Amino acid sequence: MWGSVEQYSTIHWSWAIAIYLFLAGLSAGSIIVALLVKWNRHERSNSSIWDAMIKAGSVVAPVAIFLGLFILVIDLGRPLSFYWLLVRYNVTSVMSLGVLFLLIYTPIVVVFMLLVFERSVIKYPFFAPLESLINLVKSFHSYAKIIEYFLFIAALCVGSYTGFLLSALYAIPLWNSPLLPILFLTSSLSSGVAVNILIGLLFFKSTINAESIKYLLVLDTRVILTELPLLGLFFIGLFYAGGDAPHAAKMALTEGFWAGIFWLGVIGVGLGLPLLTVIIALRSHVYRVGYVVVNSMVVILGVLMLRYYIIYAGQIYLG
Amino acid sequence: MEKQYRLLYDENLCIGCQACNVACRVENSVPDEVYRLQVHLQTKGEFPNLGMNFERLSCMMCENPPCVSVCPTNASFQSKDGLVHINERACITCKYCILACPYHARFINPIKNVVEKCNFCYETRVSKELLPSCVSICPTDALSFGDMRQKNSLVYQKSHKEVLVFPKAHLGTKPKVAFIPNRKGAKS
Repeated sequence: MWGSVEQYSTIHWSWAIAIYLFLAGLSAGSIIVALLVKWNRHERSNSSIWDAMIKAGSVVAPVAIFLGLFILVIDLGRPLSFYWLLVRYNVTSVMSLGVLFLLIYTPIVVVFMLLVFERSVIKYPFFAPLESLINLVKSFHSYAKIIEYFLFIAALCVGSYTGFLLSALYAIPLWNSPLLPILFLTSSLSSGVAVNILIGLLFFKSTINAESIKYLLVLDTRVILTELPLLGLFFIGLFYAGGDAPHAAKMALTEGFWAGIFWLGVIGVGLGLPLLTVIIALRSHVYRVGYVVVNSMVVILGVLMLRYYIIYAGQIYLG
Repeated sequence: MEKQYRLLYDENLCIGCQACNVACRVENSVPDEVYRLQVHLQTKGEFPNLGMNFERLSCMMCENPPCVSVCPTNASFQSKDGLVHINERACITCKYCILACPYHARFINPIKNVVEKCNFCYETRVSKELLPSCVSICPTDALSFGDMRQKNSLVYQKSHKEVLVFPKAHLGTKPKVAFIPNRKGAKS
Protein backbone atom coordinates (compact mmCIF):
# COMPACT_ATOMS: atom_id res chain seq x y z
CA MET A 1 0.00 0.00 0.00
CA TRP A 2 1.17 3.50 -0.76
CA GLY A 3 0.48 6.26 1.75
CA SER A 4 1.48 7.13 5.29
CA VAL A 5 -0.52 5.65 8.14
CA GLU A 6 1.69 7.10 10.87
CA GLN A 7 -0.86 9.79 11.63
CA TYR A 8 -3.49 7.13 12.33
CA SER A 9 -1.53 5.12 14.88
CA THR A 10 -0.26 7.90 17.12
CA ILE A 11 -0.87 7.60 20.87
CA HIS A 12 -2.48 10.94 21.62
CA TRP A 13 -3.33 10.34 25.27
CA SER A 14 -0.33 8.87 27.02
CA TRP A 15 0.92 8.09 30.54
CA ALA A 16 -0.08 11.52 31.85
CA ILE A 17 -3.76 10.87 31.18
CA ALA A 18 -3.50 7.36 32.67
CA ILE A 19 -1.99 8.81 35.84
CA TYR A 20 -4.57 11.58 35.94
CA LEU A 21 -7.44 9.08 35.65
CA PHE A 22 -5.81 7.09 38.44
CA LEU A 23 -5.30 10.14 40.71
CA ALA A 24 -8.81 11.48 40.14
CA GLY A 25 -10.18 8.06 41.05
CA LEU A 26 -7.85 7.79 44.04
CA SER A 27 -8.97 11.18 45.31
CA ALA A 28 -12.67 10.44 44.91
CA GLY A 29 -12.26 6.93 46.32
CA SER A 30 -10.37 8.05 49.41
CA ILE A 31 -12.88 10.76 50.31
CA ILE A 32 -15.80 8.36 49.74
CA VAL A 33 -14.11 5.84 52.05
CA ALA A 34 -13.41 8.55 54.65
CA LEU A 35 -17.07 9.58 54.59
CA LEU A 36 -18.23 5.95 54.85
CA VAL A 37 -16.04 5.48 57.92
CA LYS A 38 -17.30 8.74 59.38
CA TRP A 39 -20.93 7.78 58.91
CA ASN A 40 -20.72 4.10 59.76
CA ARG A 41 -17.89 3.79 62.26
CA HIS A 42 -18.10 6.99 64.30
CA GLU A 43 -20.30 6.73 67.34
CA ARG A 44 -22.29 9.91 67.90
CA SER A 45 -21.27 13.21 66.40
CA ASN A 46 -18.08 13.40 68.38
CA SER A 47 -15.67 14.98 65.94
CA SER A 48 -12.92 15.86 68.39
CA ILE A 49 -10.95 12.68 67.71
CA TRP A 50 -10.91 11.72 64.08
CA ASP A 51 -10.38 8.18 62.96
CA ALA A 52 -7.08 7.68 61.09
CA MET A 53 -9.07 6.61 58.01
CA ILE A 54 -10.89 9.96 57.93
CA LYS A 55 -7.65 11.87 58.44
CA ALA A 56 -5.96 9.92 55.65
CA GLY A 57 -8.86 10.46 53.25
CA SER A 58 -9.06 14.15 54.00
CA VAL A 59 -5.36 14.56 53.11
CA VAL A 60 -5.17 12.18 50.16
CA ALA A 61 -8.23 13.58 48.39
CA PRO A 62 -6.98 17.17 47.91
CA VAL A 63 -3.34 16.20 47.36
CA ALA A 64 -4.22 13.60 44.71
CA ILE A 65 -6.64 15.83 42.84
CA PHE A 66 -4.24 18.80 42.77
CA LEU A 67 -1.37 16.59 41.61
CA GLY A 68 -3.62 15.01 38.97
CA LEU A 69 -4.87 18.35 37.67
CA PHE A 70 -1.30 19.64 37.52
CA ILE A 71 -0.22 16.68 35.39
CA LEU A 72 -3.34 17.07 33.24
CA VAL A 73 -2.63 20.73 32.49
CA ILE A 74 1.06 20.06 31.82
CA ASP A 75 0.05 17.38 29.31
CA LEU A 76 -2.00 19.82 27.23
CA GLY A 77 -0.40 20.85 23.95
CA ARG A 78 -0.75 24.43 25.14
CA PRO A 79 -0.69 24.32 28.95
CA LEU A 80 -0.84 28.09 29.36
CA SER A 81 -4.15 28.33 27.54
CA PHE A 82 -5.87 25.95 29.99
CA TYR A 83 -7.94 28.87 31.31
CA TRP A 84 -10.23 28.54 28.29
CA LEU A 85 -11.59 25.44 30.05
CA LEU A 86 -12.87 27.73 32.78
CA VAL A 87 -14.24 30.36 30.42
CA ARG A 88 -15.88 28.48 27.58
CA TYR A 89 -18.15 25.54 28.40
CA ASN A 90 -19.71 22.92 26.19
CA VAL A 91 -22.39 20.90 27.94
CA THR A 92 -22.14 18.03 25.47
CA SER A 93 -18.45 17.58 26.25
CA VAL A 94 -17.69 15.23 29.14
CA MET A 95 -14.39 17.06 29.62
CA SER A 96 -16.27 20.29 30.15
CA LEU A 97 -18.66 18.60 32.61
CA GLY A 98 -15.61 17.23 34.41
CA VAL A 99 -14.29 20.76 34.84
CA LEU A 100 -17.62 21.71 36.44
CA PHE A 101 -17.56 18.70 38.79
CA LEU A 102 -13.97 19.48 39.78
CA LEU A 103 -14.81 23.13 40.41
CA ILE A 104 -17.38 21.96 42.96
CA TYR A 105 -15.44 19.01 44.33
CA THR A 106 -11.96 20.49 44.82
CA PRO A 107 -12.85 23.40 47.16
CA ILE A 108 -15.01 21.12 49.32
CA VAL A 109 -12.25 18.54 49.82
CA VAL A 110 -9.86 21.34 50.79
CA VAL A 111 -12.34 22.67 53.35
CA PHE A 112 -12.94 19.13 54.61
CA MET A 113 -9.20 18.73 55.17
CA LEU A 114 -9.01 22.06 57.02
CA LEU A 115 -11.85 20.99 59.31
CA VAL A 116 -10.27 17.64 60.10
CA PHE A 117 -6.90 19.22 60.83
CA GLU A 118 -8.34 22.30 62.48
CA ARG A 119 -6.11 21.99 65.55
CA SER A 120 -2.89 21.59 63.58
CA VAL A 121 -3.86 24.48 61.34
CA ILE A 122 -4.46 26.82 64.23
CA LYS A 123 -1.07 25.93 65.76
CA TYR A 124 0.92 27.57 62.96
CA PRO A 125 0.81 31.35 62.53
CA PHE A 126 1.53 30.78 58.85
CA PHE A 127 -2.01 29.43 58.45
CA ALA A 128 -3.63 32.28 60.37
CA PRO A 129 -5.62 33.55 57.38
CA LEU A 130 -7.22 30.11 57.12
CA GLU A 131 -8.56 30.32 60.65
CA SER A 132 -11.32 32.73 59.74
CA LEU A 133 -12.25 30.45 56.85
CA ILE A 134 -12.48 27.49 59.22
CA ASN A 135 -14.61 29.49 61.61
CA LEU A 136 -16.84 30.57 58.75
CA VAL A 137 -17.28 26.97 57.65
CA LYS A 138 -17.89 25.85 61.22
CA SER A 139 -20.69 28.38 61.57
CA PHE A 140 -22.54 26.24 59.05
CA HIS A 141 -22.07 23.14 61.22
CA SER A 142 -25.80 22.52 61.38
CA TYR A 143 -25.64 21.79 57.65
CA ALA A 144 -22.63 19.49 58.06
CA LYS A 145 -24.51 16.35 57.13
CA ILE A 146 -25.97 17.92 54.00
CA ILE A 147 -22.55 19.20 52.92
CA GLU A 148 -21.11 15.73 53.51
CA TYR A 149 -23.81 14.15 51.33
CA PHE A 150 -23.10 16.80 48.72
CA LEU A 151 -19.37 16.02 48.86
CA PHE A 152 -20.17 12.31 48.56
CA ILE A 153 -22.18 12.91 45.38
CA ALA A 154 -19.49 15.23 43.97
CA ALA A 155 -16.93 12.49 44.64
CA LEU A 156 -19.13 9.94 42.84
CA CYS A 157 -19.28 12.34 39.88
CA VAL A 158 -15.49 12.84 39.81
CA GLY A 159 -14.87 9.11 40.21
CA SER A 160 -17.15 8.16 37.33
CA TYR A 161 -16.75 11.07 34.90
CA THR A 162 -13.28 9.79 33.95
CA GLY A 163 -15.05 6.69 32.64
CA PHE A 164 -17.64 8.72 30.71
CA LEU A 165 -14.77 10.81 29.32
CA LEU A 166 -13.51 7.74 27.49
CA SER A 167 -16.82 5.98 26.83
CA ALA A 168 -18.17 9.03 24.97
CA LEU A 169 -15.87 8.31 22.02
CA TYR A 170 -17.43 5.87 19.58
CA ALA A 171 -14.31 6.05 17.40
CA ILE A 172 -12.48 3.90 19.97
CA PRO A 173 -14.23 0.55 20.49
CA LEU A 174 -12.48 -0.43 23.74
CA TRP A 175 -13.55 2.84 25.37
CA ASN A 176 -17.05 3.06 23.97
CA SER A 177 -18.58 0.85 26.67
CA PRO A 178 -21.30 1.90 29.11
CA LEU A 179 -19.57 -0.23 31.76
CA LEU A 180 -16.41 1.89 31.83
CA PRO A 181 -17.69 4.53 34.30
CA ILE A 182 -18.91 1.96 36.81
CA LEU A 183 -15.72 -0.07 36.36
CA PHE A 184 -13.60 3.00 37.05
CA LEU A 185 -15.74 3.95 40.03
CA THR A 186 -15.48 0.54 41.68
CA SER A 187 -11.74 0.35 41.12
CA SER A 188 -11.27 3.86 42.47
CA LEU A 189 -13.20 2.82 45.58
CA SER A 190 -10.78 -0.07 45.93
CA SER A 191 -7.77 2.24 45.61
CA GLY A 192 -9.39 4.63 48.11
CA VAL A 193 -9.59 1.87 50.75
CA ALA A 194 -5.99 0.88 50.10
CA VAL A 195 -4.51 4.37 50.15
CA ASN A 196 -6.39 5.36 53.31
CA ILE A 197 -5.16 2.28 55.14
CA LEU A 198 -1.62 2.88 53.92
CA ILE A 199 -1.48 6.59 54.79
CA GLY A 200 -3.30 5.93 58.07
CA LEU A 201 -0.74 3.32 59.13
CA LEU A 202 2.17 5.52 58.07
CA PHE A 203 1.18 8.90 59.49
CA PHE A 204 -1.79 8.61 61.83
CA LYS A 205 -0.93 5.52 63.82
CA SER A 206 -2.15 7.00 67.09
CA THR A 207 -5.74 7.20 65.92
CA ILE A 208 -5.84 3.86 64.07
CA ASN A 209 -8.92 1.88 64.91
CA ALA A 210 -8.51 -1.80 64.08
CA GLU A 211 -12.27 -2.16 63.76
CA SER A 212 -12.41 0.51 61.05
CA ILE A 213 -9.65 -1.21 59.14
CA LYS A 214 -11.47 -4.52 59.36
CA TYR A 215 -14.61 -2.80 58.13
CA LEU A 216 -12.69 -1.41 55.15
CA LEU A 217 -10.98 -4.71 54.35
CA VAL A 218 -14.37 -6.40 54.20
CA LEU A 219 -15.60 -3.57 51.99
CA ASP A 220 -12.57 -3.91 49.71
CA THR A 221 -13.10 -7.64 49.28
CA ARG A 222 -16.67 -6.95 48.20
CA VAL A 223 -15.53 -4.24 45.80
CA ILE A 224 -12.94 -6.54 44.23
CA LEU A 225 -15.54 -9.28 43.91
CA THR A 226 -17.70 -6.75 42.05
CA GLU A 227 -14.86 -5.56 39.87
CA LEU A 228 -13.99 -9.02 38.55
CA PRO A 229 -17.42 -9.74 37.02
CA LEU A 230 -17.55 -6.13 35.78
CA LEU A 231 -14.33 -6.70 33.84
CA GLY A 232 -15.83 -9.92 32.49
CA LEU A 233 -19.00 -8.11 31.43
CA PHE A 234 -16.92 -5.34 29.89
CA PHE A 235 -15.26 -7.75 27.46
CA ILE A 236 -18.37 -9.85 26.87
CA GLY A 237 -20.16 -6.62 25.96
CA LEU A 238 -17.43 -5.79 23.46
CA PHE A 239 -17.63 -9.25 21.91
CA TYR A 240 -21.37 -8.84 21.40
CA ALA A 241 -21.14 -5.23 20.23
CA GLY A 242 -20.42 -5.89 16.55
CA GLY A 243 -18.46 -3.61 14.26
CA ASP A 244 -14.81 -3.25 15.18
CA ALA A 245 -15.35 -4.01 18.88
CA PRO A 246 -15.03 -7.84 18.90
CA HIS A 247 -11.74 -7.79 17.02
CA ALA A 248 -10.36 -4.96 19.14
CA ALA A 249 -11.32 -6.83 22.32
CA LYS A 250 -9.74 -10.04 21.06
CA MET A 251 -6.48 -8.25 20.23
CA ALA A 252 -6.47 -6.42 23.58
CA LEU A 253 -6.80 -9.74 25.42
CA THR A 254 -4.29 -11.74 23.40
CA GLU A 255 -1.76 -9.53 21.59
CA GLY A 256 1.54 -8.25 22.87
CA PHE A 257 2.61 -6.23 25.86
CA TRP A 258 -0.77 -4.81 26.86
CA ALA A 259 -2.47 -8.20 26.97
CA GLY A 260 0.30 -9.20 29.41
CA ILE A 261 -0.36 -6.10 31.50
CA PHE A 262 -4.03 -7.04 31.62
CA TRP A 263 -3.65 -10.68 32.64
CA LEU A 264 -0.64 -10.32 34.93
CA GLY A 265 -1.06 -6.75 36.16
CA VAL A 266 -4.75 -5.96 36.28
CA ILE A 267 -6.14 -9.45 36.94
CA GLY A 268 -3.16 -11.14 38.65
CA VAL A 269 -1.63 -8.43 40.80
CA GLY A 270 -4.55 -6.04 41.14
CA LEU A 271 -7.40 -8.45 41.80
CA GLY A 272 -5.94 -11.95 42.26
CA LEU A 273 -3.30 -11.22 44.90
CA PRO A 274 -5.62 -9.24 47.20
CA LEU A 275 -8.18 -12.05 47.04
CA LEU A 276 -5.43 -14.58 47.76
CA THR A 277 -4.30 -12.53 50.77
CA VAL A 278 -7.83 -12.46 52.09
CA ILE A 279 -8.15 -16.23 51.68
CA ILE A 280 -4.75 -17.11 53.13
CA ALA A 281 -3.55 -14.42 55.54
CA LEU A 282 -6.50 -12.29 56.48
CA ARG A 283 -9.02 -15.08 56.88
CA SER A 284 -12.06 -13.78 58.71
CA HIS A 285 -10.29 -10.44 58.36
CA VAL A 286 -7.83 -10.84 61.18
CA TYR A 287 -5.86 -7.63 61.41
CA ARG A 288 -2.19 -8.21 60.54
CA VAL A 289 -0.28 -5.04 59.75
CA GLY A 290 2.35 -6.53 57.44
CA TYR A 291 -0.16 -8.23 55.17
CA VAL A 292 -2.48 -5.24 55.22
CA VAL A 293 0.30 -2.90 54.01
CA VAL A 294 1.43 -5.23 51.21
CA ASN A 295 -2.17 -5.85 50.26
CA SER A 296 -2.83 -2.11 50.00
CA MET A 297 0.20 -1.45 47.80
CA VAL A 298 -0.74 -4.31 45.50
CA VAL A 299 -4.30 -3.00 45.13
CA ILE A 300 -3.08 0.52 44.27
CA LEU A 301 -0.66 -0.86 41.70
CA GLY A 302 -3.44 -2.90 40.11
CA VAL A 303 -5.77 0.10 39.83
CA LEU A 304 -2.99 2.16 38.23
CA MET A 305 -2.33 -0.61 35.72
CA LEU A 306 -6.03 -0.83 34.83
CA ARG A 307 -5.97 2.87 33.85
CA TYR A 308 -2.77 2.41 31.85
CA TYR A 309 -4.17 -0.64 30.12
CA ILE A 310 -7.45 0.98 29.12
CA ILE A 311 -5.75 4.17 27.89
CA TYR A 312 -3.09 2.45 25.78
CA ALA A 313 -4.91 -0.68 24.59
CA GLY A 314 -7.87 1.51 23.57
CA GLN A 315 -5.74 3.62 21.26
CA ILE A 316 -3.65 0.74 19.91
CA TYR A 317 -6.35 -1.87 19.20
CA LEU A 318 -8.90 -0.14 17.07
CA GLY A 319 -10.17 -3.36 15.50
CA MET B 1 -28.10 26.14 7.02
CA GLU B 2 -27.33 28.56 4.22
CA LYS B 3 -25.30 26.23 2.04
CA GLN B 4 -25.22 22.52 1.57
CA TYR B 5 -21.72 21.75 0.45
CA ARG B 6 -20.70 18.41 -0.92
CA LEU B 7 -17.37 17.08 -2.11
CA LEU B 8 -17.55 14.11 -4.47
CA TYR B 9 -14.60 11.79 -4.94
CA ASP B 10 -14.86 9.47 -7.90
CA GLU B 11 -12.60 6.50 -7.21
CA ASN B 12 -12.94 5.41 -10.84
CA LEU B 13 -11.38 8.58 -12.18
CA CYS B 14 -8.60 8.82 -9.57
CA ILE B 15 -5.12 7.84 -10.77
CA GLY B 16 -3.41 8.27 -7.39
CA CYS B 17 -1.12 11.08 -8.57
CA GLN B 18 -1.24 12.91 -5.17
CA ALA B 19 -1.60 16.29 -6.88
CA CYS B 20 -4.44 17.00 -4.43
CA ASN B 21 -2.16 16.13 -1.51
CA VAL B 22 0.55 18.50 -2.78
CA ALA B 23 -1.87 21.31 -3.63
CA CYS B 24 -3.30 21.05 -0.12
CA ARG B 25 0.18 21.30 1.40
CA VAL B 26 0.99 24.39 -0.59
CA GLU B 27 -2.35 26.09 0.00
CA ASN B 28 -2.44 25.44 3.74
CA SER B 29 1.29 25.25 4.60
CA VAL B 30 0.91 21.72 5.96
CA PRO B 31 4.19 20.46 7.50
CA ASP B 32 5.87 17.44 5.88
CA GLU B 33 5.13 14.77 8.46
CA VAL B 34 1.37 15.36 8.72
CA TYR B 35 -1.55 15.23 6.29
CA ARG B 36 -4.76 17.15 5.88
CA LEU B 37 -5.42 15.06 2.82
CA GLN B 38 -3.84 12.02 1.25
CA VAL B 39 -4.91 9.31 -1.16
CA HIS B 40 -4.01 5.77 -0.20
CA LEU B 41 -3.19 3.37 -3.03
CA GLN B 42 -3.63 -0.33 -2.67
CA THR B 43 -3.05 -3.13 -5.13
CA LYS B 44 -5.48 -5.98 -4.60
CA GLY B 45 -6.03 -9.45 -5.92
CA GLU B 46 -3.59 -11.99 -7.36
CA PHE B 47 -1.77 -11.85 -10.67
CA PRO B 48 -3.14 -11.60 -13.32
CA ASN B 49 -6.37 -10.43 -11.66
CA LEU B 50 -4.93 -7.31 -10.15
CA GLY B 51 -6.81 -4.17 -9.36
CA MET B 52 -6.04 -0.87 -7.74
CA ASN B 53 -8.00 0.81 -5.04
CA PHE B 54 -7.80 4.47 -4.13
CA GLU B 55 -9.04 5.93 -0.91
CA ARG B 56 -9.22 9.58 0.01
CA LEU B 57 -8.39 10.32 3.65
CA SER B 58 -9.36 13.73 4.91
CA CYS B 59 -11.96 15.47 7.03
CA MET B 60 -15.43 14.28 6.04
CA MET B 61 -17.14 17.47 7.24
CA CYS B 62 -19.76 15.54 9.20
CA GLU B 63 -23.24 16.90 9.67
CA ASN B 64 -23.10 15.34 13.18
CA PRO B 65 -19.44 15.89 14.00
CA PRO B 66 -18.21 13.99 17.08
CA CYS B 67 -15.20 16.33 17.24
CA VAL B 68 -17.49 19.30 17.89
CA SER B 69 -19.62 17.73 20.60
CA VAL B 70 -16.58 16.62 22.64
CA CYS B 71 -14.62 19.87 22.44
CA PRO B 72 -14.55 21.37 25.96
CA THR B 73 -13.90 24.94 24.81
CA ASN B 74 -16.04 25.07 21.64
CA ALA B 75 -12.82 25.66 19.72
CA SER B 76 -14.00 22.97 17.33
CA PHE B 77 -17.26 24.33 15.94
CA GLN B 78 -19.73 24.04 13.10
CA SER B 79 -20.47 27.10 11.01
CA LYS B 80 -23.87 28.11 9.65
CA ASP B 81 -22.91 26.44 6.38
CA GLY B 82 -22.43 23.17 8.25
CA LEU B 83 -18.67 23.19 7.86
CA VAL B 84 -16.50 22.19 10.82
CA HIS B 85 -13.76 24.64 11.70
CA ILE B 86 -11.22 25.13 14.48
CA ASN B 87 -10.84 28.35 16.42
CA GLU B 88 -7.09 28.17 16.98
CA ARG B 89 -7.14 30.79 19.72
CA ALA B 90 -9.46 28.76 21.97
CA CYS B 91 -7.87 25.38 21.23
CA ILE B 92 -5.95 24.07 24.23
CA THR B 93 -4.67 21.03 22.28
CA CYS B 94 -6.20 18.53 24.68
CA LYS B 95 -6.43 16.08 21.74
CA TYR B 96 -9.94 14.93 22.73
CA CYS B 97 -11.27 15.74 19.23
CA ILE B 98 -8.42 13.83 17.56
CA LEU B 99 -9.47 10.73 19.48
CA ALA B 100 -13.17 11.32 18.80
CA CYS B 101 -12.79 11.47 15.01
CA PRO B 102 -13.54 8.06 13.44
CA TYR B 103 -11.79 9.17 10.22
CA HIS B 104 -8.46 10.11 11.87
CA ALA B 105 -8.70 13.41 10.03
CA ARG B 106 -7.18 15.52 12.78
CA PHE B 107 -3.59 16.00 13.81
CA ILE B 108 -1.39 18.38 15.73
CA ASN B 109 0.44 20.88 13.58
CA PRO B 110 3.98 20.45 14.95
CA ILE B 111 4.89 24.05 14.17
CA LYS B 112 1.85 25.84 15.57
CA ASN B 113 1.17 23.16 18.21
CA VAL B 114 -2.52 23.36 17.53
CA VAL B 115 -5.06 20.85 16.21
CA GLU B 116 -5.64 21.08 12.50
CA LYS B 117 -7.56 19.40 9.68
CA CYS B 118 -8.97 19.95 6.22
CA ASN B 119 -11.40 22.88 6.14
CA PHE B 120 -12.34 22.68 2.46
CA CYS B 121 -9.94 25.67 2.01
CA TYR B 122 -12.79 27.80 3.33
CA GLU B 123 -10.86 30.90 4.38
CA THR B 124 -8.62 31.16 1.37
CA ARG B 125 -10.79 29.82 -1.44
CA VAL B 126 -14.37 28.64 -0.86
CA SER B 127 -15.46 31.84 0.88
CA LYS B 128 -14.25 33.66 -2.26
CA GLU B 129 -16.36 31.45 -4.52
CA LEU B 130 -13.28 29.43 -5.57
CA LEU B 131 -13.00 25.64 -5.48
CA PRO B 132 -10.91 23.92 -2.78
CA SER B 133 -7.33 23.57 -4.00
CA CYS B 134 -7.52 19.76 -4.25
CA VAL B 135 -10.60 19.99 -6.48
CA SER B 136 -9.23 22.68 -8.77
CA ILE B 137 -5.92 20.86 -9.33
CA CYS B 138 -7.24 17.33 -9.93
CA PRO B 139 -6.08 16.46 -13.47
CA THR B 140 -8.76 13.80 -14.07
CA ASP B 141 -11.70 15.66 -12.50
CA ALA B 142 -12.09 12.90 -9.95
CA LEU B 143 -13.09 15.56 -7.43
CA SER B 144 -16.08 17.83 -7.69
CA PHE B 145 -17.32 20.33 -5.16
CA GLY B 146 -20.32 22.58 -4.86
CA ASP B 147 -23.62 23.48 -3.26
CA MET B 148 -26.26 20.74 -3.34
CA ARG B 149 -28.98 23.43 -3.31
CA GLN B 150 -28.02 24.56 -6.78
CA LYS B 151 -29.68 22.08 -9.08
CA ASN B 152 -27.47 22.98 -12.02
CA SER B 153 -24.22 22.34 -10.14
CA LEU B 154 -21.98 19.48 -11.15
CA VAL B 155 -22.09 17.86 -7.69
CA TYR B 156 -25.88 17.88 -7.71
CA GLN B 157 -26.09 16.27 -11.12
CA LYS B 158 -23.36 13.73 -10.44
CA SER B 159 -24.91 12.87 -7.05
CA HIS B 160 -28.18 12.03 -8.72
CA LYS B 161 -26.60 9.97 -11.46
CA GLU B 162 -24.17 7.83 -9.46
CA VAL B 163 -24.32 5.46 -6.54
CA LEU B 164 -22.76 7.27 -3.58
CA VAL B 165 -20.99 5.83 -0.58
CA PHE B 166 -20.65 7.85 2.59
CA PRO B 167 -17.66 6.61 4.61
CA LYS B 168 -18.56 4.91 7.90
CA ALA B 169 -22.17 5.97 7.38
CA HIS B 170 -23.31 3.46 10.03
CA LEU B 171 -21.86 5.77 12.69
CA GLY B 172 -24.46 8.40 11.90
CA THR B 173 -21.93 11.15 11.30
CA LYS B 174 -23.51 12.15 7.94
CA PRO B 175 -20.37 13.09 6.01
CA LYS B 176 -20.41 15.84 3.37
CA VAL B 177 -17.71 13.98 1.48
CA ALA B 178 -19.13 11.19 -0.70
CA PHE B 179 -17.34 8.51 -2.69
CA ILE B 180 -18.33 7.05 -6.02
CA PRO B 181 -16.99 3.55 -5.35
CA ASN B 182 -14.56 1.67 -7.53
CA ARG B 183 -16.35 -0.38 -10.19
CA LYS B 184 -13.23 -1.94 -11.68
CA GLY B 185 -10.53 -4.31 -10.53
CA ALA B 186 -10.32 -6.87 -7.80
CA LYS B 187 -12.49 -6.29 -4.78
CA SER B 188 -10.90 -6.63 -1.37
